[in-house]
Order: sequence, then C-alpha cells, then structure tokens
Amino acid sequence: MKSINKMTQAELAAYVQSHLQEKGITVVLSGGACVSIYTANKYISADIDLIDVYSVARNKIKTAMEEIGFNEKNRYFVHPDTKHIVEFPPGPLSVGEESVTQIREIKLATGILRVISPTDCVKDRLAAYYFWNDQQCLAQALLVAKHNRINLADIKRWSQASGNNKGFGIFLEKYSGNKRSR
Amino acid sequence: MLRPLLGSKGSENVLIFMVARDEGYAREISQFFGMDISTVQNQLDKLELGSILVSLTKGRTRIYTFNPRYPFLEELKQLLEKALSFYPEEEREKLVMNRRRPRRRGKVL
Repeated sequence: MKSINKMTQAELAAYVQSHLQEKGITVVLSGGACVSIYTANKYISADIDLIDVYSVARNKIKTAMEEIGFNEKNRYFVHPDTKHIVEFPPGPLSVGEESVTQIREIKLATGILRVISPTDCVKDRLAAYYFWNDQQCLAQALLVAKHNRINLADIKRWSQASGNNKGFGIFLEKYSGNKRSR
Repeated sequence: MLRPLLGSKGSENVLIFMVARDEGYAREISQFFGMDISTVQNQLDKLELGSILVSLTKGRTRIYTFNPRYPFLEELKQLLEKALSFYPEEEREKLVMNRRRPRRRGKVL
C-alpha cells in the first residue's frame, strides 16, 4: 500500500472511503474533487468532499478517521502527510432537489473510489452556477462536459425542472462552442 | 410552535427569521428575539453544518441564507411559512415588515 504522502487525490479518497466502508460508513465523493478526477486535474481542488449518505453519527466518523491518522480541525479532517482536507457534508446525496442514484465505482490501488457520475458532476457544478451565478462553477461544468461522455438530455431535463432554462441555454451555447472548436 | 420538531426554540427562531427575511446575521437575529448571540451563532453553525443554511461574508458581517441546494428546501420553507402564519400578528408583522429598500447614508428620517 502506498503511503499517504504519495497518494493522488483520487487514491486518498478511495483509501478513506474503503476504510470507512469497513466500519459501516457509506460515503460518496462529490464536489470539486470530482471535477479534478474527471478532468485529469485540469482543475485542482484540495478538498475531498465525501457525502455522508446515511448521516451517521459524527463521532463514529471521527473515530474511524483517527484510526488512519486524520484529526478533526474545525469541521474538516487533516492529516500531517497530505495537503488534502477531507470534509463530510451530510446526506442525502443530491443535485438540487433530485437524489443521485448512479454511483460509479473505480478500482484503484488504495481501494474502491465511489464517485458521482460525470453527468451528476456537471449538474452539481451547474447548481452553483444557477443559484449563485458562480462563473468558476460554470467553467468547471464545461470542463467536465468536455472531457467525459455526459447525458446532455438529462442535464437539460434537470435544469428545466428546477426552472433554469436560461442558465442551461448559456451552458449549452458554450458547450456547443467548445465542441465546434475542438 | 415547531420546537418539538426542531429540538429547540433557538433553532425555530433562526429558521423563522430566515423564511421571513430571506437572510440574516447573528446579531440581528439575537436582537430581534432577545436571545444570547452565542446561542444564535451555535444554531447558525449547526444549520450550516447540516447544509440547510449557507453563509457569505459582506464586509465584516457573515450573512446567512437558505442553501438553495438543500434537497428538502421547498418542503422546509412551506412548513416554516405555515408556522409563521400561526404566529401572533404583531410578531409576524415585525418579522416581515422590515425596511429592505435602500436609505442614503446620512439621510435624516
């Protein structure tokens, strides 16, 4: 097994997830780290957001994390051998008002990485763009869409269901522009 | 009113304030309800940790709003709005009828 200081972000996430799973704690990777993974690090995030799918007791997570050398600092878990910080946002696993049902499992040397799909990753980023007009998240959604096979029809349906036709139109225009310029 | 469900009066006050005004910060919520500011801050922290609220700093003030990505937001707001409709009229008006339009700096009332 690699030492923590040599693990990539995805390997570290898989290592933590696998350890927690052994303790009966189910977590799924979401947030900026997914963008890093799906864009081959074109976007870098130091955070590892592991959604605590069934909202287990915080103390149970804390004990399990301490077993692998992480300590809780404010709301985050840090390890002396890595710059990555791990957070456990509470479940349910969702994008906007919809629950996420498709989980990808990627086998890595350090464990099994359980991560939301590229389509849900795009929705997750677009949600921040729609709600807060966050241009960084729009750029991240476009990056993920560019580097992965996504279900555009589902993203359109989801956007329309949450009343974000205009935002989706802007995303689609930029996405189509990217595809043409490839 | 929602205390048995939410677990504390402080939690109810914070959420009712949010649904009435869309946003708030610890000091104004504590002053409105006559609560200790640390109690309000604890409730805000708890609700933010639970992804029900999010916060942004403006100047030196941390402003809280509902998290638009919270999957039960619509249902939660409906519940809070209904609870608010059962509040005494005077308190409800004080919550809802606050000035939101701009006022030029230095303007005498």
